[in-house]
Amino acid sequence: MGKPIFRPAQPSDLDRLVDLNIRLKRLNEEFDPLLKIRDDIQDISRKYLSDAMSSPNSLVVVAEDDGRVVGFIKADVRERIFYKPKMEGNIVEFYLLPEYRRKGLGASFLEYTIELLKERAEIITAEFPSLNEIATKFYTRLRFRSIISVYARET
Amino acid sequence: MGVEADRHGRIAVTLAPFYGGKLEIVPKIPVRSLEDFSVWYTPGVAAVCRAIRENRELSLYYTGRWNTIAVITNGTRVLGLGDIGPEAAMPVMEGKALIFKYLGGVDAFPLCIDADSPEKFVEVVRALEPGLGGINLEDISSPACFRILDELRDSLEIPVWHDDQLGTASVTLAALTNALKMVGKKLGEVRIVLFGAGAANIATARLLEKAGADIGRLIMVDTKGILHSERHDMDELMLRNPWKYELGLKTNRERLSGGLKEALEGADVLVAASTPGPGVVKPEWVREMAGDSIVFLLANPVPEMWPWEAKEAGARIVATGRSDFPNQVNNSLVFPSVFRGALDARAKRITDSMVLAASKALADYVPSDRLSENYIIPTMDDWEVYVYVAAAVAEQANRDGVARNPLTYDEAYVRAKKTIERSRRILQALMNENLIRPLPKVE
Repeated sequence: MGKPIFRPAQPSDLDRLVDLNIRLKRLNEEFDPLLKIRDDIQDISRKYLSDAMSSPNSLVVVAEDDGRVVGFIKADVRERIFYKPKMEGNIVEFYLLPEYRRKGLGASFLEYTIELLKERAEIITAEFPSLNEIATKFYTRLRFRSIISVYARET
Repeated sequence: MGVEADRHGRIAVTLAPFYGGKLEIVPKIPVRSLEDFSVWYTPGVAAVCRAIRENRELSLYYTGRWNTIAVITNGTRVLGLGDIGPEAAMPVMEGKALIFKYLGGVDAFPLCIDADSPEKFVEVVRALEPGLGGINLEDISSPACFRILDELRDSLEIPVWHDDQLGTASVTLAALTNALKMVGKKLGEVRIVLFGAGAANIATARLLEKAGADIGRLIMVDTKGILHSERHDMDELMLRNPWKYELGLKTNRERLSGGLKEALEGADVLVAASTPGPGVVKPEWVREMAGDSIVFLLANPVPEMWPWEAKEAGARIVATGRSDFPNQVNNSLVFPSVFRGALDARAKRITDSMVLAASKALADYVPSDRLSENYIIPTMDDWEVYVYVAAAVAEQANRDGVARNPLTYDEAYVRAKKTIERSRRILQALMNENLIRPLPKVE
């Protein structure tokens, strides 16, 4: 394992990004039965990531080690219509392969992404399953705090 | 095997109500008249209580606590029977306690507790600590057993052992050490494949690393195939089985994927602790292993493949978990003596190096000139092996600074020998006196 570099995603990363996105959704599934993944996860992931890469309002960045993509972050830039600061960079997907965890890499990857988002966003938010304690600890350590809760129940 | 197991089962189920259990408590002090109770019990005993109140460690010298352990289970994974509940686990715990007494001179209480969750289990066992000299965990489902063992080992001031992990791992290591000696290969250089990723093999992997095996070349294979850091269930393992996850990160540096077949190509050693065979490991896979291959087939009651099949497929040394084949990898070779040594030393814990010392003593018991393909590990008949292993464990406890009662190797040897011999003599005397009823004839 070398020291990964961070860079914006390219179309040629798509296959690998689909795989990493499915891993992320499978991980989320472990936390909550209401996060059960759909059967068409493969196709949906492909479309979702391909759209994001071509959208001016999204950012997809990857961590690459020795030519292999080993993690990715997907964020959206959006306007907060009632609150200020107005422009928000919302991190919606964040995944690193297991052997790249617990080495401080996640934090530097996040800082890299925030640097890119900073040009257009004044506040950075992150979404993850409520029961993901690892994510809670990670963001808390990096001085994030919970500002909105999403509660769910089935109809 | 089926027929033999049936016969043993028939005898056991007939004798169980005849004897009404396998153990009872027998006094070890003289009682000449009721007056002696004024010493053994109140009022005299209060002086002993006061002394212990002043110095709690004296409870390990002034009472039977020093030689008393509990064999504790919640019955969630008993033998090959699965989750059969604590009551149904009792016959096994009694059997284990019997072996503890007979081979190690250790007084072991069989305790079956209603505690399904690891939290409750840990809480109950912690509460029992003041009355016990040690804890032997038994037949607890994986991965709960890893957490329970790790937490108890960290928090208690008495030895804690989980035989399905540490026992199996240390005997496997001993057998492997001698097998490698036979074929002239080194632990740090061989490619080892562990098939099955339950309590036994996860513990074996951890111990092999500590013994000097190259963990990055070690390959673990389970029902989902070869484990590697990018296998699709790694995130699930991170949350549900951090111990296996850890091995997913450390083992298989080359990220080899596939199944057992692929794993075995060119491998020097196979340790299978998976599901009962035969036919679980295929001869054509063993054929692809490196020359002078070593194959351990530890599933019970039937090994993953018959030992002669492994030999025909080119394996040089084969071991199983069965006493009716050569080279039985049998936990009973280790747990009585590990506790014998740890208890005599009044050890605060069983360190990893004590486990390694036990394993080494077990391997060294087979002298080089008697070492052969069919004799890489002592059998239970070699009863002196227990004394050697106990002494090695006590000596290591001293070296590791965990012995409250530091003993030299020789002191530990003499004590262990006396205690184990006494235990066997007591049983023989009770049998001679007919205080233990002779075995009735069972059809």
